[in-house]
Amino acid sequence: MADTPTTPKELHLCMGLNTCKANGYSGTNDCAGMGDCATINHPCHTLNECKGQGGCGLFGTTEEFCFPSQNECRYQGSCGSPILSARFVTQGPNKGRSVWQLARKRFEELRAGTNQPIGAPPGGPFGPSNTYVNEVRKTTGQDYSSCGQSGSRHCSYLADPAARALAADARVLVMEIESAEEMKETLSTCPPRVY
Amino acid sequence: MAPKKLITIPPAVTPANFADAMQQAIALELATIPTYLSTYYSINRAQDQDALYKKLLGQLAAQSGNSETADTLAQELKVDILVYANQSAALIMSVAIEEMLHLALSSNVKQAIVQQAPELLAISKILNFPTQLDGHEPEFPINTAKLTLNQLSTFLQIESPAPFVDPADKGALDQQVVPYKTIGAFYNDIIACVQANYPGPYTPVRPQLLPPQKSAPPIPRPYYSQNSINTVYYDRNHNPQFASTDDGQELIGVVDAASAVAAMQEIQHQGEGNIQPDQTRLIFDPVTKLPVPMPVVDGVVHFRPGDYDENGELSHFAKFMEIYSLGGYYQQKFAAIPGLDDFFSYFVTNMGPNPTQAIYDASGNKPLSLCSQLGNAIFTYILLMIETCYYQDEDTQFAVFMYGIHKSMIWLLSGIGNSIGGDYTYTNGGQTYAASLTFEYFPFEKQTARPKAQILSLVDQLAVADPNNWSWLTQAKYANYWPSLPDVGLDHSVVPNVPQIP
Repeated sequence: MADTPTTPKELHLCMGLNTCKANGYSGTNDCAGMGDCATINHPCHTLNECKGQGGCGLFGTTEEFCFPSQNECRYQGSCGSPILSARFVTQGPNKGRSVWQLARKRFEELRAGTNQPIGAPPGGPFGPSNTYVNEVRKTTGQDYSSCGQSGSRHCSYLADPAARALAADARVLVMEIESAEEMKETLSTCPPRVY
Repeated sequence: MAPKKLITIPPAVTPANFADAMQQAIALELATIPTYLSTYYSINRAQDQDALYKKLLGQLAAQSGNSETADTLAQELKVDILVYANQSAALIMSVAIEEMLHLALSSNVKQAIVQQAPELLAISKILNFPTQLDGHEPEFPINTAKLTLNQLSTFLQIESPAPFVDPADKGALDQQVVPYKTIGAFYNDIIACVQANYPGPYTPVRPQLLPPQKSAPPIPRPYYSQNSINTVYYDRNHNPQFASTDDGQELIGVVDAASAVAAMQEIQHQGEGNIQPDQTRLIFDPVTKLPVPMPVVDGVVHFRPGDYDENGELSHFAKFMEIYSLGGYYQQKFAAIPGLDDFFSYFVTNMGPNPTQAIYDASGNKPLSLCSQLGNAIFTYILLMIETCYYQDEDTQFAVFMYGIHKSMIWLLSGIGNSIGGDYTYTNGGQTYAASLTFEYFPFEKQTARPKAQILSLVDQLAVADPNNWSWLTQAKYANYWPSLPDVGLDHSVVPNVPQIP
């Protein structure tokens, strides 16, 4: 996996989740929420170095999954970084819905609570694809989909690789659109934050 | 090797033997975990689909000579293999996770009523495979083994809600009457004893693994989660499916008879399922000696209404019956097509049954021996950490559980369980097998160093002995794996400030 950039930056776990100008992966963003990619990498649950680095969705508890990137401490993160747009919640009432969109919503809530502006995420409203992350990080064919043994969400069983990729794109897009439409319900089913 | 009896289920649960009965219930739940995990680790869940397709196509084309027909069939068979492998693994993992919940529920009951913590290391010391559950009539061997129909048959016997007739017992077949005691019946005996003799409230209150609660003492943070990405599989259209459909099952704090009974009933409900009308039963075919499968039509298992609970959740028995029935269906399908291998051989590692550390040591393969020792050490350490939770306050429990048990199950034990078979082979009885975890007790007490230090010593030794496969273990950037484990002692002490926060 590509290393994090050498210039010290705010440590955050994905595109659109940075709090400062010039603190995206490439350091070219004008505003909070406009960073192009994560400034950290870690593959999964309990392997994060710091507060706020749990990507959520794949291993952890319902409560953790409701507050991606808001863990209080080292090792408390429930999943890896970056959060690809295809990552979905595997536990609780929001099973099957987008993790990145919820992470962005929580980020927006925090910013709104302190009246701080944010900009649009550069990779679109549904989160970064694996192709996008490879482009930003100037890597080729790297799998940034994080942990788990069940295989990639962004896939299909079609024989032709090109058709397979298109089918995977279409299937993930359906999940992304449905997750956006269901965000209000997602937030309503999340239990209150207790820690 | 003759099976060694792990526990003796008493003919009746009374106050005189209640402590032993609860320890036996805990042993029963613990014994299932290595069995299920060993089978889980034998499954290649997500192999290269193009390589698999190419292999199938080659086998079919060599037989038929019709490339177009072979191409279509190879694609169909590829999806059969990929979906079944992923589904069977997801369902087995979902059951293994719930068995860990059951272990905690039984431990909570013992802690509350008997005022004694679970003795998991004591169970592990005598838990060797093959084992069997004395008290079952008929008894049956339980193996650590790869995925086969025979292994799934064992799983079905463990989880059967209703008595069954084992065709291996000739006398029983002749008489058609077999005295038999299900695990569910054992829990019924415990429940009856609790209701008659232990109304509660139970004091003093000793530490248990509890669900989140607002009332005193406040428990803000949950420990248990039945679903993860490893309990997810993808259907033929590659849409995610979740092995556990209900999120309602949780840890239960045991404070009186009602909560103790609720804990026991949750185990029964999730495990064997309740005996209901119009429900699939475990019936053995007298010819094949294997369970009669459920009907499979076009690759879909047809359940009966009684196989579901009120929430649409399948019990452990029903989940295993599903993958048993599908496995048999696909095995027959592949066997009927000339040129193909056995269905299971396409995705199951050729693990030998009931491997032991002694076999690995005798092989002279030092890396294999060390790798297996490390697997046993982390398995034993997981049990020690669970035990320790029954001696510690909630904050310490959380640290041990989240930084220790979760990490160990998801990354450390899994890392070895998934890798050891690809890295090493061994010979036993003239057969060569892929290595696998042995799930044996690791005797931490034989050295003066604390268990974590012993584990890290094994990590260092393995990295040196087999740098090609394991040098990453000691690299600084992977310090959040093994070195970050909490430091738990055999006296259930936990070193303060664990994990260390720089």
